[in-house]
Amino acid sequence: MDNEDSITKLLRLKRYEQPSEEYFQNFLAEFQTRQRSEVIHRPLLQIAWDRFSSIFILPSVPKLVMATSFATAVFAAAFIMNWADDDTPSNLTLASSGAVQLDSKARPAQGKNGSAVQYVLPARPVSYASARSF
Amino acid sequence: METLEPPDDELVRRTQAGDARAFDELVLRFSPRLYGLVYHMTSSHEDTNDLLQDIFSKAYRSIKGFQGKSSFYTWMHTIAVNMAINFLKKRNRRKTTSLDDVDNGILNDPDFIEATSHGDPSREANLSELQKKLNESMLKLSHDHRAVVTMFDIQGMPHAEISKVLKISEGTVRSRLFYAHRQLQNYLQEFINK
Repeated sequence: MDNEDSITKLLRLKRYEQPSEEYFQNFLAEFQTRQRSEVIHRPLLQIAWDRFSSIFILPSVPKLVMATSFATAVFAAAFIMNWADDDTPSNLTLASSGAVQLDSKARPAQGKNGSAVQYVLPARPVSYASARSF
Repeated sequence: METLEPPDDELVRRTQAGDARAFDELVLRFSPRLYGLVYHMTSSHEDTNDLLQDIFSKAYRSIKGFQGKSSFYTWMHTIAVNMAINFLKKRNRRKTTSLDDVDNGILNDPDFIEATSHGDPSREANLSELQKKLNESMLKLSHDHRAVVTMFDIQGMPHAEISKVLKISEGTVRSRLFYAHRQLQNYLQEFINK
């Protein structure tokens, strides 16, 4: 038991290992600067999560459930945006002859002799053609 | 006339309501104590400074979720200990701390010298050795044992408080202390017998 007390006494010497008051004042200033910088450089997803949680999180709902629903919402939004990008523009119509023509409402471009220029696209996209065909 | 400082709970409520100055007050109030906790676990002033910044940042981000089931003091200590242990695990993977890295800044602390040497030059020389040995011995303990020794022996926290911070039983706290002390006795034998 004496040895136990001696250990405790020795370890108590470490209490003196403390910086000065000035250090803690500077520490606060450093913390405030860092906090501001964190606010500016926060990732978009984290900002979205914070806003989501401040609006929807209820104390009775477990955090895991909220995080899962947030992740699902993010994936759904990403999927919808991706799907919208892939969609064909509505002002193009496929002609029965196998060519794509501009909508009649669109103003046609003028040729050198004043006649309207017709843009005819091949029915089969280039990307579908075989790499060996020239 | 003495001005009454607001209690922790009030500062927490004000922070939760968006008053950043209230949190600044909490930082000033808790940083010396948490500094000691983290420093005695890492034995490096530089790492302690960085880690303490991270700890307060995390506390600020999570304070809205603090419901007051435990005291703010316990809550802050729990964050600090968990982050310090995670940091030590990462540091161990990164490199083995050289004994030269161990901070011996205390030797320049006049309070420490005054309290221990009483102006005796031969004792002052021994202090240097003792300080080095103390830090080395602490680094040899496992992270869990080091946390318990830091809180109990150095910071003087009661067993019950440590068990709340670490979320373990008081029996486990006592058992960890017993084994940690036994290890430290072996490492510090020469100083105990003096």
